[in-house]
Amino acid sequence: METVINTTTKSDVQQKSSLYRAVWRWHFYAGIIVAPFLIILAVTGSIYLFKPQIEQVIYQDLFEVTPQGEKIPASQQIEEVKRLYPDAVISKYRPGENATRSSEVGLTVNDQSVTVFVDPYTGKSIGELNSEDRIMDKIEEFHGELMMGTIGDRIVELAACWTIVLMVTGLYLWLPRKKPNMSGVLYMRWNKGRSILARDLHVVPAFWITAGMLFLVMTGLPWSGFWGTQFQTIATNSGAGYPPSVWVGNAPVSTVTKDIAEVPWAAETLDVPVSEVQGFIPVSIDDVVQIANREGVHPSYTVFLPKEPTGVYTLSAFPPKAEDEITMHIDQYSGAVLTDYRFEHYGFIGQVVALGITLHKGTQFGLINQLASLLICLGIILVAVSGFYLWLKRKPSKSMGAPKSTSIKNMKLFLVVLIGLGILFPLVGLSLIVIFLMDVLLIKRIPFLKRFLHA
Amino acid sequence: MRSNKGDGTMKKVFLITIFGLLLGGCSLKEDAAELYLQEQPLHAEVILPETITSEEPVPIKVILTQDGKKVDEVDSVEFEMWKHADVIHATAEQPSVLEEGTYGINKTFDRDGLYYIKIHASKGDAIIMPQVQIVVGELSKSELEYLQKDLPEKEEGHDHHH
Repeated sequence: METVINTTTKSDVQQKSSLYRAVWRWHFYAGIIVAPFLIILAVTGSIYLFKPQIEQVIYQDLFEVTPQGEKIPASQQIEEVKRLYPDAVISKYRPGENATRSSEVGLTVNDQSVTVFVDPYTGKSIGELNSEDRIMDKIEEFHGELMMGTIGDRIVELAACWTIVLMVTGLYLWLPRKKPNMSGVLYMRWNKGRSILARDLHVVPAFWITAGMLFLVMTGLPWSGFWGTQFQTIATNSGAGYPPSVWVGNAPVSTVTKDIAEVPWAAETLDVPVSEVQGFIPVSIDDVVQIANREGVHPSYTVFLPKEPTGVYTLSAFPPKAEDEITMHIDQYSGAVLTDYRFEHYGFIGQVVALGITLHKGTQFGLINQLASLLICLGIILVAVSGFYLWLKRKPSKSMGAPKSTSIKNMKLFLVVLIGLGILFPLVGLSLIVIFLMDVLLIKRIPFLKRFLHA
Repeated sequence: MRSNKGDGTMKKVFLITIFGLLLGGCSLKEDAAELYLQEQPLHAEVILPETITSEEPVPIKVILTQDGKKVDEVDSVEFEMWKHADVIHATAEQPSVLEEGTYGINKTFDRDGLYYIKIHASKGDAIIMPQVQIVVGELSKSELEYLQKDLPEKEEGHDHHH
């Protein structure tokens, strides 16, 4: 009788502990691979959070102007920039959101994208900035794509998705198994020796920041290149997302496409019939500015000039608060407002994503938002570093020191969770397939790898 | 053995799902815009004679449509006209209703040259200001040069309204 009870208890414990080890093993490997990226994301994110303040300081000379009298029409400011850069193609104009803000003319010259800052009261250029030299843009590029373009974007996305796996497995490992005792679970044990402190430095802060970290991952994913684009497309198609052209999709086209005035090219003679020269010509940028004022567009807007005969003027503002966002398209020949998409016109998912983005960037609630996000970033760095330290401290010299792998039979539930995440985040699924293939084709067949990885 | 088979099926389903998502992807529906707020912009078609000469009345007409239908009750419609490089002497005229949705004037130009007509029209929130360029008689040398400078915008720095 006694033996029977003993065996059941023993096998029960064994099964539980083998599931525990399996989860731990996944947490272990995922952590080692993802930790460096999490640290990069948290560090660059912490800096980028303060972009408004940082740029205000380093570009003060370019941003600030002294108001004097009336502002000069946009067309004249652009004319002046054209005179300074005769070979440039002007792509955008930003009037400046208040009386002391310079206006900006964006242009492309010799394949470089340059912003010229203009004093709207004198109409003179006060300086230029090459996009390549904008330090905050570099930080953003690092944060979003590790400065590696599409490949970097996918790596960041993968790291973000695997962070969710880390959080799920981490929470399982964190769950107290003995009687409820909150030390080492909800608060730190400072006086129980160094190993306990190292463990608590990983586990306790990790629990506290999990919600914040999940929030940053989930609000960051919608602007990722792969998952984000798919997600946005599905949302927009369903009517619940951003209206088309705000994130995915094209702008409408100008409705007048016939009867446009043609430009005669040959010098000194009219080489095309008069009827070709007669016709619609684009409305001026001054009319566009007037339309923006009439329609109450948020003053931080930028006008993107039409690039082709069927193109439109696009007015776009993404100010600190999501509620102030606007994307407006104006027919370049008639000045008609073709679409006027504001926050209240987004579908429910679109509104949630938009709010998520401004919260993620720390602009929605200003300084408090920035500080809260900074705290999460610092927490992420602490958790990643302490996790890494935990590994180094325990690592045997001849192997990775991972928990022993267990048969797939012991981790059915965990497998279901993993596959679920793999379907929700196809990049995770793809990487799971790669891991599975590597396991079957390499690790299981090469004794050294098997020993080293404790497979 | 049985459990292996089960895992295999699960993996297959998993693989197919993933590849389906990856290969299929999704593209934006062309009519997605209809699910969101839509504007009803006014649309203008300007009707001019093939050739225009000075010192004789020229019929200038505009057909205003909204959502493909002719607009017979606009809130306002006005023709603003000026000669190239002489926007200071711009004039504004109220056209008369010729037929449903069609508004026009008979304009006599004193001199040859390059002219502009800007049609201000509004109905409710839909406001437009299309601008056409017309050639009366012969163009002067400076006007021709101006056209060839690839500067389709209205001359800068003047107040448009008088």
